[in-house]
Amino acid sequence: MADNAADVADDYRQALEDLTANSRIEIATLTNIARENASHGLAITEVLQNHIKKVPPARTLPALYVLDSVVKNVPTPYALYFGPKLYSIFMGAYTKVDYVTRRKMDEMLKTWKEPVPGSISTKPVFPPEYVRPIENALIAARDVAYAAQKSSFQGQQQLLRGNRPPVPTRDTPTPPTARPAPYQAGPHVQQPFPGPPGGPIQQPQQQQQQQYGDMAHQPYPMRPHNGPNMIPSRATAQPLPLAGPSHYQQPAPREAYGTPQPGISIDKLRDDIQQLIVAEKAEFARDPHDTSKQTRLLALLDLQTLIQSPDVPREQLMLVKERVSELAVNMRAHNSAAPPLLPHPAFTPTPPVVPQQPPPVHPVAVASRPPPAPVNAAGLSIDTLFGQGALATLLGGIGKPPTPQAPTPQLLPVAVPPVRATPPLPPVPRPVEPAKPPPASNLSTNPSALLAMLRQSGLLAAGAPAAAPAPLAPNSANFAPPVMAAPQPSADQGFYLHLKPAALKQFRPDLVARIHDDLGPPCTQCGRRFRTDEEGRRKKTTHMDWHFRVHQRIVEAEKRGQHRSWYLSDELVRYLSFFPLLAPRSSRANRMPGLGQVPRGNRRGLRRARVGIAEPRRRRRQRWRQRRQRRWQRRRTVGEAGKPAVHTRARGPVARQQHVPHLPGALRDEVAGRGAGVGMDGRRQGRREGVPRHVP
Amino acid sequence: MSIPGLGQITPQAAAATTIRTIALQPLWEWRFEVPRRSAGITVRLVTGSAERDGTPLAVNRTYTFVRTKSKLLTWHGCTLEVNGDCDAYVAEYAAPEDSPMVSYLNLHFALKERRDHVRAMSGAAQNRALLGPRVMVCGPKNSGKTSLARTLVAYATRMGAQPLVASVDPGEGLLSLPGTMSAAVFGTVMDVEDPAGGFGVRGTPSTGPSTVPVKLPIVYYFGREKVEDDGPFWRELVSKLAGSARVKMDEVDDVRCTGLVLDTPAVAANQSGIDILVHAAREFAVNVVVVLGSAGMNAELQRRLAHEKTRFGEPITVLLLDKSEGVAERDKAWMRGVGEEAIKEYFFGDPKRTLSPFTHSVTYEELTVLKVPDESEYFEGQQVLIPAEISPEMSNWTLAVMDASVNDPPEIIRQAAILGFIAIADVDEERRRVKFLSPVSGRLGNRPLVWGRWPEPYINLVG
Repeated sequence: MADNAADVADDYRQALEDLTANSRIEIATLTNIARENASHGLAITEVLQNHIKKVPPARTLPALYVLDSVVKNVPTPYALYFGPKLYSIFMGAYTKVDYVTRRKMDEMLKTWKEPVPGSISTKPVFPPEYVRPIENALIAARDVAYAAQKSSFQGQQQLLRGNRPPVPTRDTPTPPTARPAPYQAGPHVQQPFPGPPGGPIQQPQQQQQQQYGDMAHQPYPMRPHNGPNMIPSRATAQPLPLAGPSHYQQPAPREAYGTPQPGISIDKLRDDIQQLIVAEKAEFARDPHDTSKQTRLLALLDLQTLIQSPDVPREQLMLVKERVSELAVNMRAHNSAAPPLLPHPAFTPTPPVVPQQPPPVHPVAVASRPPPAPVNAAGLSIDTLFGQGALATLLGGIGKPPTPQAPTPQLLPVAVPPVRATPPLPPVPRPVEPAKPPPASNLSTNPSALLAMLRQSGLLAAGAPAAAPAPLAPNSANFAPPVMAAPQPSADQGFYLHLKPAALKQFRPDLVARIHDDLGPPCTQCGRRFRTDEEGRRKKTTHMDWHFRVHQRIVEAEKRGQHRSWYLSDELVRYLSFFPLLAPRSSRANRMPGLGQVPRGNRRGLRRARVGIAEPRRRRRQRWRQRRQRRWQRRRTVGEAGKPAVHTRARGPVARQQHVPHLPGALRDEVAGRGAGVGMDGRRQGRREGVPRHVP
Repeated sequence: MSIPGLGQITPQAAAATTIRTIALQPLWEWRFEVPRRSAGITVRLVTGSAERDGTPLAVNRTYTFVRTKSKLLTWHGCTLEVNGDCDAYVAEYAAPEDSPMVSYLNLHFALKERRDHVRAMSGAAQNRALLGPRVMVCGPKNSGKTSLARTLVAYATRMGAQPLVASVDPGEGLLSLPGTMSAAVFGTVMDVEDPAGGFGVRGTPSTGPSTVPVKLPIVYYFGREKVEDDGPFWRELVSKLAGSARVKMDEVDDVRCTGLVLDTPAVAANQSGIDILVHAAREFAVNVVVVLGSAGMNAELQRRLAHEKTRFGEPITVLLLDKSEGVAERDKAWMRGVGEEAIKEYFFGDPKRTLSPFTHSVTYEELTVLKVPDESEYFEGQQVLIPAEISPEMSNWTLAVMDASVNDPPEIIRQAAILGFIAIADVDEERRRVKFLSPVSGRLGNRPLVWGRWPEPYINLVG
């Protein structure tokens, strides 16, 4: 389909421009496209080079990772094309980025001197004659810098020599225990265990695999080549840890590309889960016959799989992350004092491991891939793992004051669109019922040790599972309706809260709950809370859409430059600030120019790369249609009522005229003009953002 | 071999080691001051809940604070992870009743009750004109007036209300530059990272998208720092602003039922100071007056207002609340810095949103600049604004662009709302040309510019 190089280049350029975050999936997709259009390699090389040159510093690194990935996965022809330009690309980018990014670039440069990990070829990624000039330049630059500022020398020098502290491997040996058969039988496409695919850490793990023959079928130690998502893992293998121990303990080179959504630190989450797994494994090692530990470990691993899947909706991720990290932090704090292998309660609020279909992956031709390890975690749920009561106890005793948390999960179904054809993940059941005492049976079996340890470490009030303090419970009865029934014009009469200093000084815990949990769980982006009823869910959906759109538009806006708008004049404020300007920006989010030229097989991937994964397209389009319909209806009604329907954001000059019919001439022009971003003197001064839309 | 740009960045390793974790118990506050010159601090809420002046922080989001003196309060206890250098301490309260925040929260709910009441009453046709509570926050200097106003607004917004916020304090702009008075409806979450906590110029619209929803203020230009500098004009503008506010309230039920939060200038508890407050209270038909930390002012206002009724016949409640002892001293230099940064931010945006203003070069004749006549030139019956001669003195001043026509009489121009500001970059006397910085492209047309007396230029925005 891609007939000429210009089309391909154009599409590729657009796809690149949408690459804002360091997202593995997007980079993988871009690599795939490059692979399939290798015949137009030169054009793509141009595009990528220009992109790296032009892109703002913050987005340079992802662009460079694309280069890295393309070159490592499709060495022919791209390594040839990029080689001669390498110096200018690299140094150009190096001069404009900040220190942290430079270190990442140093790591990447190092990997270029080595062969592609996992490939048969022993040739380095780039021939030395291309890499060496860069190194020389960097060394020279550092010498200059050294002369200039000795203080900065240490860090860079260290960097240059690469004499970093040895890698503290946190992967404790896995115990030689067979896993339950069903687990091995499921399709396990994504490696749940974000270990390094190559490099020094790989070796011990492979040995470990051999050592423990039984473990061969476990999904996670099959480090190097067990996933179809090979591109990122290979390409990112070397930009390995450098940034301190936190990267080491989670030796996930994949991290680099592994953040599909800005704002959600999947790495961190993975890190946390990883630590839980490590702890759990050790626990498991102690008592390999304990099936409950086994299942718990399995569930954790599955959770990890889930997290790695690029298709997990944002809400879910955030929820999982919120709970895991929150509890993990607690645990870490306690871990220092408590037994080192505390089984982690952080797992509890995470989504139950459901029979999950593997997230869709873009197949990449990679040889020597072991058959996917199966997963079947059907039937596992938190309750079966821990027992409901125990869970409740844990949650009741840990972390923040036990405010009522129950309603959280209800939100999910709205905001969680189905992941392609796979069934949507069920809402996370958070069986938080602090009042429910733990069943004795659960306590007496395995978890008793756990609970005991938790008590010991102070996480759990001894013998007091229902830790929710009564005063925090919302008590709206205090705001007695009779108050409303007696309308009095006097200042305090008839009101529950009197406007008297003494009355206001009294602490009323129920009021605290009313501005917190009574309002529902917070938005993970801005902290705004939404109730879990129908209305709240609708609002939250709109709200998340808004976040999504804004993120997209920020990317667009970066390209064209922005400026402050004039304040609105007196009359206009009246019209514009109050009408709910809910009309969506048409199909902007849906429109993907240039898709027509992309080979069929890649459309989906490209689309994902462009749109991100926040919302599958089908769902969005459906919503858009509904809104368009609503907008039409509203336009009619408002128009008939004789009010200037400015808020409908009519498009096109004709429509604009029709919608501001009742204003005096000058004002009408202004309303229409402002709405369309026309300046005072009638010239276009920008895009439509001049008038902010109502934000849900 | 030297490559431009290389090696110029000092490694951030030193900063990276200053990460610290702060655990707060319920109702404790973490008070911090980030100096103006510092690179800023980043704060991440690890667990629990925290808020800055009522606006909640999202868990695990990294917030950057620059040149801010503020506090983070937690109602439930929280853990914060802070990175960067700042003066900070934790304010601990043994009992919840010790914290002034409790009374602020109660105040919010007392207001909410009255708002709900108005809403419930609005069913009947004759009650359509009922207004929600109009609160005026006043007090001496450094008593946390604006912070309380912000907190009340944030709480109201959190619960879905849409309060109208007005500031009649020209010393610090609300959604605007210093020297202005403005009002806006706050129906959406405020910017936590804004040095002014969501009241700064950062919250105004630009042509680009904004991660925090923008607010649309209506702004009047006072052009002086203190009310006393031009009392009569201030009163005029207060009346004008109150009129605009009233119009807004009448337009939308949500705003009408929610009412108003009014921020006032710091005044002394003497006759003239109280007069200022009483004037503002009357113009805005305030029915709840909150006095922060000044018993004298409270007594005086009680005497003046307690027996009065608003123009809707409601009694006026005057209420003395404690000021938070954590209120930061903001001296003259700091305030000047704040103003300077606000001007920069108005034209060039903030770290998250870079704006590109336009530089224009026009002849003297294309600009109509008006100014308030000097005292020496002033005598009874003279016009309130006279044309100002363009001179090199004007360099670096910010002038207000009025929403009026050059042909309007000066009285109208003076009281007109403003469209924005331009900054004079350079005046070339020989060629009779002026270079100025404007937020938008395009000529100014026949908009008059007003040259105020304050804030004086400290910085050259262009050079």
